[in-house]
Amino acid sequence: MTSPSAPVATTGYPWPIETTQLANGLRVVVSEDRTAPVVCVNLWYDVGSRHEPPGQTGFAHLFEHLMFEGSQHVKKTEHMKLVQGNGGSLNATTNPDRTNYFETMPSEHLELALWLEADRMGGLVPALTQETLDNQREVVKNERRQRYENVPYGDAWLRLLPLLYPEGHPYHHSTIGSMEDLNGAALDTFKAFHQQYYAPNNAVLTVVGDAAAAEVFALAEKYFGAIATVPDIPAAPDGTLPGPAEQAVRETVTAKVPAPRIYLSHRTYPFGTAGYDAVTVLATVLGNGRGSRLYQRLADGARIAQPDYIGAYGVDLAHAPAPLIITATAKDGVDLETLEAGLAEVVQSLIDEPVGEDELNRAKALLTTSWWRGVSTVYGRADLLGRYTTQFGDPATAADRLPKWLAVTAEDVTEAARHVLRPESRVTLTYVPGEPS
Amino acid sequence: MSLVTTRPGAGSARPYAFPAIRRVTAHGGTVIAAHMPGQILASALLLLDAGAARETDGREGTATVLAKSLEEGTRRRDSAAYALALESLGAELSPGVDWDTFRVGVSAPGPLLADAVRLAAEAARTPKLDPEDVARVRDDEVTALRMDWAQPGPRADAALRADLFGADGRYGRPLHGDPTSVAAVTVDDVLAFHEAWLRRPGVLLVAGDLDALDLAALAEAAFEGTSGDPLEQTGPLGVVLPARRRTILVDRPDSVQSTLRLGHRAPERATPDYVPMTLAATVLGGAFTSRLNHLIREVKGYTYGIRGSYAMTRRWGRFEVAAGVQTAVTAPAIRDTLGEIARTQAEGITEDELEVARSWRAGQLSVEMQTPGAIAGALSTLVVHGLPDDYYATLRREYLEATVEQVSKAAAEHLSVDALTLVVEGDGAAIRAELAEFGEVVDSTI
Repeated sequence: MTSPSAPVATTGYPWPIETTQLANGLRVVVSEDRTAPVVCVNLWYDVGSRHEPPGQTGFAHLFEHLMFEGSQHVKKTEHMKLVQGNGGSLNATTNPDRTNYFETMPSEHLELALWLEADRMGGLVPALTQETLDNQREVVKNERRQRYENVPYGDAWLRLLPLLYPEGHPYHHSTIGSMEDLNGAALDTFKAFHQQYYAPNNAVLTVVGDAAAAEVFALAEKYFGAIATVPDIPAAPDGTLPGPAEQAVRETVTAKVPAPRIYLSHRTYPFGTAGYDAVTVLATVLGNGRGSRLYQRLADGARIAQPDYIGAYGVDLAHAPAPLIITATAKDGVDLETLEAGLAEVVQSLIDEPVGEDELNRAKALLTTSWWRGVSTVYGRADLLGRYTTQFGDPATAADRLPKWLAVTAEDVTEAARHVLRPESRVTLTYVPGEPS
Repeated sequence: MSLVTTRPGAGSARPYAFPAIRRVTAHGGTVIAAHMPGQILASALLLLDAGAARETDGREGTATVLAKSLEEGTRRRDSAAYALALESLGAELSPGVDWDTFRVGVSAPGPLLADAVRLAAEAARTPKLDPEDVARVRDDEVTALRMDWAQPGPRADAALRADLFGADGRYGRPLHGDPTSVAAVTVDDVLAFHEAWLRRPGVLLVAGDLDALDLAALAEAAFEGTSGDPLEQTGPLGVVLPARRRTILVDRPDSVQSTLRLGHRAPERATPDYVPMTLAATVLGGAFTSRLNHLIREVKGYTYGIRGSYAMTRRWGRFEVAAGVQTAVTAPAIRDTLGEIARTQAEGITEDELEVARSWRAGQLSVEMQTPGAIAGALSTLVVHGLPDDYYATLRREYLEATVEQVSKAAAEHLSVDALTLVVEGDGAAIRAELAEFGEVVDSTI
């Protein structure tokens, strides 16, 4: 067997990228790949829950639902029917930073996908009705019940955000929003929301797969060219923070959970910075895989944590220092104090104990596979290019991420650990089994 | 200028092609490989005829405990060294169990795949299985199952399975066992399962850029030192339907949603009706615009999503509708769901609906099969069900050629609204009384 060494990659994006911009400001990105007879159409709108004012939490996401309910020339229920009825897969997601919409189609239906996206970018408002809003509000409330309220530990993310980010910060509230705000959502607010943010100059259209750039550019002009620019789109509140928090915060939740669990979290650096690249490698060394420090020391070594529920990961947010989340669940008979002391010790080890060559190579090898898995579909590539165009102004910079991860040194990881993992900047969220008070 | 008002038509379609398949037989086993030029990652899946159905009564979960024990060290290295060796290739082992097979999968950049398969085979064929480690993994698995069963769903699934297949031994218990059966698994059970089933050659499925892969070397890595002939297959269980509908309540106090699992038995995967049944289920509850999702989500707003489908293995099949609905509308949601199942069974489907279903299922064969992992999974379907290499092209054609009459006939024959078992996992105090509308309510013992 060959001895594994640090993988080498000079680019993380070995496919062509071509770009243009329409007169109305829409940026168009195309990456041709004829491997499979499929094409992905992806729209990133630079609007997310960070744009929501107080009293309107959850609106960006509820709005995303309304985008599937018909537009000027697309009848209610027709959008889904036309995509699936022509063989495609589709979805959309909203997070604090942005909202994305995407469909992968057999490539002969590229033009259909572009027409559908243009119609809901330029013609949603005339089709918006109170009935649609009322129905999708109930769907979203059921989404909230299903994903956050009805599952043990399901509200951890909702609880972590306000502990990590101060009142008024754009990441302070969760994307799903509060039931109270959702109940108060008025139709006019959504009409205004669309007119404000769903503008060609606030979006990136990315097409990846079985299509040529020249063809896509012409079709983009044909379908999106008529949509008017919206001047002076207001920016989200500034997310700049001076650095990691200066005071530790702790919340303990008594709930119907099957075992004690701890989440430790720290604000780190914004996604896309050298600091966050180091945090990405750090999280992998710390908590990704059976060879990680957390697994080796707490699940396999001290055997105080359940092996299936231990890990660490960063949440890739770009507009403020992004969170690193570290979690472990106690094995039967292990108390929370023991688990928390064990976790704290392993986290501290990243500061006190240099990362070894083997650990670093392991982390980079896992990140390499994970990167290539992410770009193995036309959807994965389109979303990646949409992200880098929206957040960093240039899709070609997507190619740099993997080489930058691979260039992270043991010293970089230690330095990042020293900066972000100090106990005095830590958020500790603990779940204790019991009847909720 | 304004938006384009008319919907564009389709361009010309490229012909459908599944990746070319190559075979290498060596050391008693067969490598079946799909060529995907230009792919950076490659996937391999060792497929063994050692599914959950081979477990002993009362020890359900044995194969799962074995799967989780494989990485606790091998005869050559301890667990820490094993994790480091494998993960330094960028690979992680995914051992798993289903009703028909035991699978050990790995993915890695192409040039590293052979080393990853060597390590996967080392764990599958020659695990250390130290008794203390196996006992600990077993205990951890009991805890993990308790964690899982605290979520809505697994208890309802178990209640439905017990009701549909209770008379068929292993098939009446959950795929991975339950906390009680796993707690009863002994170290000897695990060692015996490994000895009996995991030392046979099986099949290695490979998907990736074959120009950069040495299939003979992969065969040697996967099969060297193995022995045993292919096992004989047993026949299907048959479709047994109860005389009348049953309602089972799984109590989950204070639950804000009711988890619905409505189901009955159906034919096994080899049924000649596979295509029309799949299309009927797509119209009823598979596509976003399906009858169920349209009514229960888009019109009524009772749920975030509802799905109806057939699941099929070598020996059995079952029809199921699954959803989480707001507690306050539990009975109306069930009533409307039964109405749509009854309508589909009695009246069949329309050409307009079928057009969506057939195009979607056919298109998904391209759209959802882009990656080596997806293609390796598709190969496993061919092997498990004895299907020919050109199966996906045939399947695609059959989807596109299916008629309203064929699909309506399948709906009439393979849906049975009066034979459904209705499992409802929710807040018993809030919903018990209204469930009486559907007949006598039995409390689940799960």
